[in-house]
Amino acid sequence: MRELLLMFNVKALSFLKGTLRWNGQAVLKNLSSIVIFGGFSVGVFFVSRFATEYLLYQAHIGQFLFHRFLSMILYVFFITVNLGNMVVSYSTLYKSQEVSFLMSLPISHAKIFLIKFVDNFFYSSITLSLVGFSVLLGYGSIFDQPWYFYFFSAFFIMLPFMLIAGIVAVLVLMSLIKIATKVGVRWLIVTMVCLYLGAIYVYFRITNPVAMVQEVMKHYPNVNEYFGYLDPPFIQYLPNHWVTEFMYWTINGDPARAIPYFAILFLTMLGLVAFASLMARKFYYKTWVAASDAELMRGPATSLSLKWMEFGRNSFLRPSTDVLIKRDFWMFFREPSQWLHLMLMMILLLIFVVSVGSLDLKLAQPFLQAVSFLVVFMFNGFLVASIALRFVFPLLSLEGDTFWAVRASPLSLSRLYWYKFIAAFSFIVVLAEILVGVSVYLLHRDVMLVGVACTGIFFVATSVISMNLGAGGYFAMFKEKNPIRVSSSQGASLTFLSVMVYLTLVATVLLIPLHEYFEGIIIRNTAVVQWLYGPLLIVGVTSIVVSGIMHGVGLRAVKRDY
Amino acid sequence: MIELTSFVKKFGSFTAVNGLDLKIPEGQFFGFLGPNGAGKTTTIKMMTGLYAPTSGSCSINGFDVHKEPVRAKRSFGYVPDQPYLYEKLTGREFMHFVGGLFNLSPAMVRARIEELVDVFEIGHFIDKRGEEYSQGMRQRIVLSSALLHEPRVLIIDEPIVGLDPRSARLVKDTLKQKTREGMTVFMSTHLLEIVEELCDRIVIIKDGRIIHEEVQSETTRRFNGELEAMFLELTR
Repeated sequence: MRELLLMFNVKALSFLKGTLRWNGQAVLKNLSSIVIFGGFSVGVFFVSRFATEYLLYQAHIGQFLFHRFLSMILYVFFITVNLGNMVVSYSTLYKSQEVSFLMSLPISHAKIFLIKFVDNFFYSSITLSLVGFSVLLGYGSIFDQPWYFYFFSAFFIMLPFMLIAGIVAVLVLMSLIKIATKVGVRWLIVTMVCLYLGAIYVYFRITNPVAMVQEVMKHYPNVNEYFGYLDPPFIQYLPNHWVTEFMYWTINGDPARAIPYFAILFLTMLGLVAFASLMARKFYYKTWVAASDAELMRGPATSLSLKWMEFGRNSFLRPSTDVLIKRDFWMFFREPSQWLHLMLMMILLLIFVVSVGSLDLKLAQPFLQAVSFLVVFMFNGFLVASIALRFVFPLLSLEGDTFWAVRASPLSLSRLYWYKFIAAFSFIVVLAEILVGVSVYLLHRDVMLVGVACTGIFFVATSVISMNLGAGGYFAMFKEKNPIRVSSSQGASLTFLSVMVYLTLVATVLLIPLHEYFEGIIIRNTAVVQWLYGPLLIVGVTSIVVSGIMHGVGLRAVKRDY
Repeated sequence: MIELTSFVKKFGSFTAVNGLDLKIPEGQFFGFLGPNGAGKTTTIKMMTGLYAPTSGSCSINGFDVHKEPVRAKRSFGYVPDQPYLYEKLTGREFMHFVGGLFNLSPAMVRARIEELVDVFEIGHFIDKRGEEYSQGMRQRIVLSSALLHEPRVLIIDEPIVGLDPRSARLVKDTLKQKTREGMTVFMSTHLLEIVEELCDRIVIIKDGRIIHEEVQSETTRRFNGELEAMFLELTR
């Protein structure tokens, strides 16, 4: 116990010393963190409050259906926390130098596991906790819940819920490493990706939101008490269901029926903690050794072979540009966490486009048409932001310890920066244009709107890439080898939230003119596209200003002392 | 040739390098000594453009490193104290990468690699990835990369650490040979016997200032094994 307290103390001290510095730059950084995180929380609170109010009191979907939707959102949340923990825990629990150091000390393996698990959980779940708590506040405020509802729900419902997701993640990871030593890593990773995608698909296939809405609305308004039988049996074993059942019965003033769900959630968490502790005692050290051996005993390079990308071949590019492209290409494709993550994101994008293609909204109101366009447009923006956060933000950090080789060479650092921008820009803008073009066309079948969306997303993508590259330079972590950890750092969260604020501003600028445009089509039967030129110009000018500022930040950052 | 003028580096209120003035002529093997924390690595990082000086200047082969960085950097090679490589690239790929940054043609880099493979005996591991290298292997790859573009000045921070005796001998002989051919070597090290064996001139710094300077010629080795005693006395 003494060792545990000492370690947690050291971690808390190093965190506090790193955060509570009193020089100008640190204070500015902390203040901007507070403003952006605070602003984001307030935004999420209002969105949650508005959505709850709208669905219950304007769309009249009833509490039963509302809580089933909440359950689905929590399922996605659970998977997000689970995947986030699994991805980050490999580097925290298995590749970290701190673990190597701790393994050489007389501390039990289960304690090292616990220390690193807590480290990992806070590192990968802090932003999601913020989102969860803000949603909870927004939701609870609609039902006028007392203060202890929030306290209890945050610490005894949401925290155990997230802990279950986190513990399951490390247990799965530990088992995977154990299995990988027998069947090989590549097959195992592919199988796991398929299993996770399958789990998401099966869940939504069985819960089927559209069918459920139709079934429930048949019996409107007497829906609340009677449709428990609609739940497929397996749903009752999922933690997201327990959370929503607890919420449902609590807001309906029936704690006797809420408490069993709290109890099962809490006991499951305790059971998992005990099980994880047993597993750690038995397998953590073995799997850690297996992971280290796998690193050391890596055989000859078996990665893909592309003659034209090999070093030492003549190219029409300047040698310095040619070698930068080749270096980044090979470092990307020889690092499984990079290409696997990209592949996964591409699959999700494909699912998004196919889903949009199958939507048939048949909306008659101009306002709803404008909202549906904006939702798809903003979702495209969100996807671009996610890709940029994962792949652009870490670009400068990925120079890593070997940055000395570039810094001491006669390559201008501005050129290096612009090379990175162009590389990211050419990939992401093309992807964004295809995505937005296809999805907007499938939804509205209006070429004019496709043009508007493509122009808009060009500006949005430019700003988002610039924000991520510039901020990625400012918050560069050259000592961190894992790009996933870089893109889940505090600086990355701050950047992502800033991008969300920027996207909200873009949506605000476009909403009214889009409404006018659809009103023209639906009511007056004439499409006045000129309504959209002004807002697009505003978005364009904002994009230039934001990009200019962020490139200034990035260029200064790349030239800082290394 | 290297010239440092009133070179200063401050980190907040702490002064790491405090007004260094040095002039190192062409072909000299220069030893840069000092206890831990004296400011050696900071000086080297400023000389190579990794740090910006707070004040003062450094010119290498007539080019100011901070005003004309591209031209200055083209004329020197650098070997850092920690020989970090890209873990996912092989030694050969790393050397092609460095050669490319110096705008050498692929054919020229290939030819130079073939020469350096023999000089530093790196042939048996050059096609393995960086993640498989020991410290000594990394050191030899980095040293080879620094010599790819045949620089007139070589700045080298702790060149022998991590090398086995045979590799250390190879490196020492190569560096000595290079100075005979006219290359200037600026070397920071803690290994005093290497300094005695190789250096034409030494400077000892402490708290960012020069506290001692000494010259020895090829024929009269002045230190006579007494450098250690002198160093300990001066840095006490």
